[in-house]
Amino acid sequence: MVQIIKNFFIALRQIAVGDKKYYLWVSFLSFFILLGASAYFGQLNKGLIITAMRDQVSWGLYISNFTFLVGVAAAAVLLVIPAYLYNFKPIKEIVLFGELLAISAISMCILFIMVDMGQPLRVWHILPVIGAMNFPASLLAWDVVVLNGYLAINTAIAFYVLYRLSIGKEYKMSVIGPLIILSIPWAVSIHTVTAFLYNGLSSRPFWNASILAPRFLASAFCSGPAIMLILFQIIRKLSEVEIDNKAIFKIAELIAYAMGINLFLLGAEVFKEFYSGSIHSAPIEYLYFGLHGHNKLVPWTWFATVMNITAFFLFLFPRSRENFTTLNMACLFVIIGVYIEKGMGLIIPGFIPDVLGEIYEYTPTMQEILITVGIWATGALLYTFLLKFAIPVYTGKLRFFSKAQMIAARDIMSRRVTTVRPETPVDELVKFMLSKHLTDTAVVDAGNKLIGTVSERDIISLEVGQSTGKTASDLMTAPTGTVPENFRIQELGKVLASNKTNLLFVVNDSGQPIGTIAGNDILKALENIRQE
Amino acid sequence: MEQNEQKNNGLNRRTFLQGAALGLASLALPFDRADASFWESFFQKHFREMNEAEIKNVLSRLEREYEEKYKKAIKIGNEKAMPGVLFGYGLDLSRCIGCRRCVYGCVEENNQSLDPQIHWITVLRFKKGEKWVDLENAEKYYNPEKVPQDEYFYMPVQCQQCENPPCVRACPTQATWKDPDGIVVIDYNWCIGCRYCMAACPYGARRFNWGTPNRPAEKINPKTHYLGNRPRYRGVVEKCTFCIQRTRKEPGRYPACVEACPVGARKFGNLLDPTSEIRYAIEHKRVFRLKEDLNTSPKFYYFFAYGK
Repeated sequence: MVQIIKNFFIALRQIAVGDKKYYLWVSFLSFFILLGASAYFGQLNKGLIITAMRDQVSWGLYISNFTFLVGVAAAAVLLVIPAYLYNFKPIKEIVLFGELLAISAISMCILFIMVDMGQPLRVWHILPVIGAMNFPASLLAWDVVVLNGYLAINTAIAFYVLYRLSIGKEYKMSVIGPLIILSIPWAVSIHTVTAFLYNGLSSRPFWNASILAPRFLASAFCSGPAIMLILFQIIRKLSEVEIDNKAIFKIAELIAYAMGINLFLLGAEVFKEFYSGSIHSAPIEYLYFGLHGHNKLVPWTWFATVMNITAFFLFLFPRSRENFTTLNMACLFVIIGVYIEKGMGLIIPGFIPDVLGEIYEYTPTMQEILITVGIWATGALLYTFLLKFAIPVYTGKLRFFSKAQMIAARDIMSRRVTTVRPETPVDELVKFMLSKHLTDTAVVDAGNKLIGTVSERDIISLEVGQSTGKTASDLMTAPTGTVPENFRIQELGKVLASNKTNLLFVVNDSGQPIGTIAGNDILKALENIRQE
Repeated sequence: MEQNEQKNNGLNRRTFLQGAALGLASLALPFDRADASFWESFFQKHFREMNEAEIKNVLSRLEREYEEKYKKAIKIGNEKAMPGVLFGYGLDLSRCIGCRRCVYGCVEENNQSLDPQIHWITVLRFKKGEKWVDLENAEKYYNPEKVPQDEYFYMPVQCQQCENPPCVRACPTQATWKDPDGIVVIDYNWCIGCRYCMAACPYGARRFNWGTPNRPAEKINPKTHYLGNRPRYRGVVEKCTFCIQRTRKEPGRYPACVEACPVGARKFGNLLDPTSEIRYAIEHKRVFRLKEDLNTSPKFYYFFAYGK
């Protein structure tokens, strides 16, 4: 328990203490978090009427961001597959940072759902057993299950690995392996289920296309890794973490394939909608060309399309993806492109025109934007904290007290300690030691303070007959084999090795002997720890 | 020893009280309602999981709350679906003149918010002689001097009380369900306001309380039903219930929109009763249902009694 509390404070200190740049960054994020929080407080007071959402367009910026971030979260799997399944070493070394990103992204997803709810205090109604989760009928219930499961899996993996590293041990694949394997289909599932959430609604022809889930996955494998590539470069620059260029270029190559598939699927969708030209193509028409003079999304859509296509080519050619200027440009383009395409570009046309043909054009209000920015800042802060802790653990700079380190001399000593006074005659001493089966004994003064030790060797080294008239004080050696009671177990071995005798005397603060430790006691303690 | 125990208990109680106070403070977001009734309502169970006594308790608490708010007695009923009844609705498009009296009759009966304005019925206007029900070119905000206009026909849309309702499937908390008499109802105290049902509804029938619903006390209809027209809260979804507070309580009584219609375009009755008005309409007119291709199977039938 003490150990846990102590380690908690070590972690807390690691997060709370940083240099000037760190504080500046944290305050920068906190500023936006506060702005968002105050806007959210306004929303709690007045209701969702402060947003631009209405009955016609009943989901907006929040759900758009949620959808985009599910993709970012799922992208960790793009690192997990080469790292663990193909044992690609450069990526294996950084997969942890991807998992931490997934944790942050899912946390943001949950926040976006929370701020979108009309009755956030009733959130427990969605839970099984205590609430009335509509499982398996409602896809939203499925989403709750898979998103929280994904959060749990990634938290378990990341924190297990960090814990093992922090106590100076390798993580065991036998423990973490099954979870890692599970996280791969699970990442695909959070995407698929989120796509099905929209896909399953026959009322919204724009979403009711079976290509939606594959498109979700393809675009997720572009935007998520692109964010990671930029983060990796920042991590590499600001810390001692070494990230191999090979890892970065490999990920960039994977993005090229994912974007290729994404563009192909998008093309298939566009073809079907425009060529068949049924009334169900109204939303996509609104998206690309505008409908009945309403065209607020049109410039955004084309902007995103140009971004995505440009990025695709930049990622495709080894020359441009292995040049950091063009690589970073490509990452930025993909992030912006997919953010528009899979955010507002996916959610809003689902509602325009609405099911009765009305066109209500949605532009988020300032409060909505502030709340959204606030959640992004919260996610960034969470990721910052996670990294602030994870990086020094990862580079070996931060180590927790392990259980072994916490064990002190007093915990393993035997409390039986025999003492003699310095004026004890040697003959008496020999009889005393023989009767008690002692190899060593402590010599204490009137105040029970340890002033020396006598070992059987000291007595034997006396020539026969020379003992007459001698006392313990003549034989005793200065107390070299003594250790304070709070001495750590690791150090004990060293003292024992440098000591002539096999017995260490443990003394308290006032120098009084309170116990003894034999080499055997240390062995026993180490064995106990090992077995745990 | 005994003393010790007492001391311990005292400490525990105190820590518990402190913890509880902190918990209260952190949870009590609506500060103005941080009283016992707030917690009772917070922990209220799902309507269909409560027994009769629990429902009675809830109803009397809600009646107390409403009375405090509106300074007048409001009766909340809890009439169950009657056996052998499946409600159906008919709408004669050849008669409808687009006057929207049904819309306002509904608002008056069902205690919708006046500001922000909530209507459960939408009347669409279509151009005659061009297309059939062409939703994309429908006009919802028509506002001529006089109706009907010769060149247009009108089509009121409200909850179609689907036999296979996509909204019920979508709801993650089972806050909306279809009762045995076919009415799709909402528990306003269980709805979390996620609006997934609104995305799922193909008829645009569901309304969300984006702001705090406002309705002056003198305009409150005090005869209500728990699953129907009792005053709603901010942040929950609502919709037409075929005037559940009338049609269940007084069998044979029409919903407000049927009564309000000046031209008799609206028909209502029991689909299981072969002599009912609605059965007559279905059997003798050429009826159609909106968006039949979605297989939602509405119990809301449109027809043209005569060609004009």
